[in-house]
Amino acid sequence: MKIILWGINHKTAPVEMRERLAIASSELPEVTRQLLQSPGTAECMVLSTCNRVEFVTCHEDHEPDVLTFLKQHFDVDADTLQPHLYIYREHEAIRHLFRVASSLDSMIVGEPQILGQVKESFAVARSVGAVQSSLDKLLRMTFVVAKKVRTETQIGSSSVSIASTAVELAKHIFGSLEGKQVLLVGAGKMSELAARHLSQQGTAPILVANRTFDRAVQMAQRHGGHPIRFEDLYAQADKADIIITSTGSSEPVFRREHAQKMLHKRRGRPIFFVDIAVPRDVDPAVNKLDGVFLYDIDDLQSVAAAHLATRSKEAEKAEGIVTEEVEHFLQTLRTLDVVPAIVAMQKSFENTRQSEGRRMQAKLQSLSTEQRTAVESLTRGLMNKYLHQTVQALKLAAREGDAATIRTICEMFDVEPGGSAATPPASSPDALEANHPSEPGGEDDQLEAAIAGISKTETQD
Amino acid sequence: MHQLWLRVAAIFYCAACATTLPAVLYRRPRLQRIALPAALGGFFFHFVAIVEMLVAARHWMPVGMHEVESVLSLLIVVAYLLVVFAYRATGFGIFALPVAVLLLITPAVGPDHAVFVSPMIRSGWLFLHVGALLAAYAALIFSLFSSLLYLMQEQRLKNKSGSAFLAWLPPLSVMDSISSTSLTVGFHCMTLGLLAGSLIAQQSVGAAYFLDPKVLLSFAMWVLYLFMLFLRRSVGLRGRRAVYVSSFAFLVVISVWAANLLSSVHRFPGP
Repeated sequence: MKIILWGINHKTAPVEMRERLAIASSELPEVTRQLLQSPGTAECMVLSTCNRVEFVTCHEDHEPDVLTFLKQHFDVDADTLQPHLYIYREHEAIRHLFRVASSLDSMIVGEPQILGQVKESFAVARSVGAVQSSLDKLLRMTFVVAKKVRTETQIGSSSVSIASTAVELAKHIFGSLEGKQVLLVGAGKMSELAARHLSQQGTAPILVANRTFDRAVQMAQRHGGHPIRFEDLYAQADKADIIITSTGSSEPVFRREHAQKMLHKRRGRPIFFVDIAVPRDVDPAVNKLDGVFLYDIDDLQSVAAAHLATRSKEAEKAEGIVTEEVEHFLQTLRTLDVVPAIVAMQKSFENTRQSEGRRMQAKLQSLSTEQRTAVESLTRGLMNKYLHQTVQALKLAAREGDAATIRTICEMFDVEPGGSAATPPASSPDALEANHPSEPGGEDDQLEAAIAGISKTETQD
Repeated sequence: MHQLWLRVAAIFYCAACATTLPAVLYRRPRLQRIALPAALGGFFFHFVAIVEMLVAARHWMPVGMHEVESVLSLLIVVAYLLVVFAYRATGFGIFALPVAVLLLITPAVGPDHAVFVSPMIRSGWLFLHVGALLAAYAALIFSLFSSLLYLMQEQRLKNKSGSAFLAWLPPLSVMDSISSTSLTVGFHCMTLGLLAGSLIAQQSVGAAYFLDPKVLLSFAMWVLYLFMLFLRRSVGLRGRRAVYVSSFAFLVVISVWAANLLSSVHRFPGP
């Protein structure tokens, strides 16, 4: 089974192009189903986020025609699309998928949403029957790698946006933000965004103060908070643990003496000022007071930038993990490639053993049932012992990608590397039944049984 | 035999120290998974050693410097484990575990030759006196740890450095809560310990016990504790101020400890 991944993302295509290919989550099952029906596709998955649209397919011999599929379903002609489209095959496709799920290919490296989006796409593909063993193995490994990157690196440990940086800083001061009081002074998109991020952490209903009381009322309604009159600001400010300011005032709204009074009323409990206004609303001298923490827009930006730099360093570590895991996964796949040959070899040996048994039946008739059982287990044990070394050599050659050795071993034992016996022995249906008494149904079951058989052989040895 | 268990405990604590430092400073979750079981293992052997030591010596309180150090070390580890389970603040291990190891080294290496044969040795009151005061010392040491960590986190946030090296520091509220709890617990332990001690001294020495230097310093210590609690409740005791007051209180603790040399009340006649 071969893997191919094609798509566009924020690095290769402008938003106009991504919009044309974007797939709504409600349409995802249908598009996945259509891709599965396109010629050559055996298994597939479609991933569509605001930054990327990607199609992962598994096929046997004939590669699916990507451009035709896109033209049919998205009405985009090949010439327009081709400059933005990337196509990865085999190990490159595996590597790309690992990188995407680990958030190394994201616009903001380390953002956590992408893993959830990949999981959702996988669930959709499964639900429409587009996932069989190959894609299942690949995606399971993808999730393992993404988790490893998360736990072994600090790639997603710190915030890189202004609003989330403010939330993170507030957590360093107050621990849990549940029940903490937030005061919004003045209006501004950024301050509203920060307030929304904070209220998502379970803070108490936000207090809103504005020179125009009506605007304060409107904002309070939007955030489910309470408006306060600007004249009452200093009387009420000590109730707030976090104060976000963004007024258009040319003079500082909060000066050192205000903060001192607030601290006194709060018996020294900390206050966190987030000053997003330019010119600034909070006198920088306030930060010198014990228990008062002041961050203006530049401070927040520099903290976010420092976090971003840390992420880049961690991303290098994560790339190392991905490279290692791709190699590991390819080795596993290569080992699985020779499993059919091992199954064929075992069948061939078993058939020979049984036909020899039948040939000797007349001479063995005098044996008791126990003696026959002993002969049976003796011959089977000998067969397994002889096969063991060969199976090990075959697995090693597969892990190392040594095609010549695989071919030689397969020729020696008269089996095809793909699995079937080159010259089928005089096997009877009985013989096959004896080898696989439960007669597994699908290819997957056969492989599982073969792997189990090999392990059993190894244990016996 | 108890010394063997003490040595095993010391090895466990050393392992906990060696893994806690990189686990906290460089955020290595795998090492963290070793550090806590190692500290728990150390606590187990330490507890076994102390029980065995007291049973073998047929007394119920620590006698001599080595035994007292060993018990104080155990109490610090208990406080650390409580902090970890209540606040998940494993960062405290950076201070608490090395202090516990240092206190344990001398008792683990050589035996204590202190002879203490006073009949009071099996008195429940004396056990209460010594045990409660040692718990108060451990609580004060923890209050100092948390105040120091609070100051470090406060300075980190004020300098806006976002230093990754100190990113392990727990939130200010956690340190504040630990500091407050350890002060309150310590105050109660100290009150109980002093009351028990006063009752014993009143009976054995008489009213003159109050003029003993160690007793005087202990009461000064109690007043200081009360003052710290008052400050915390009235104007708040955090940051630099908390570190100064806690450091001063710590110095008083060391003086109280050292005052044994001058104390007549704390000398017991030999056989």
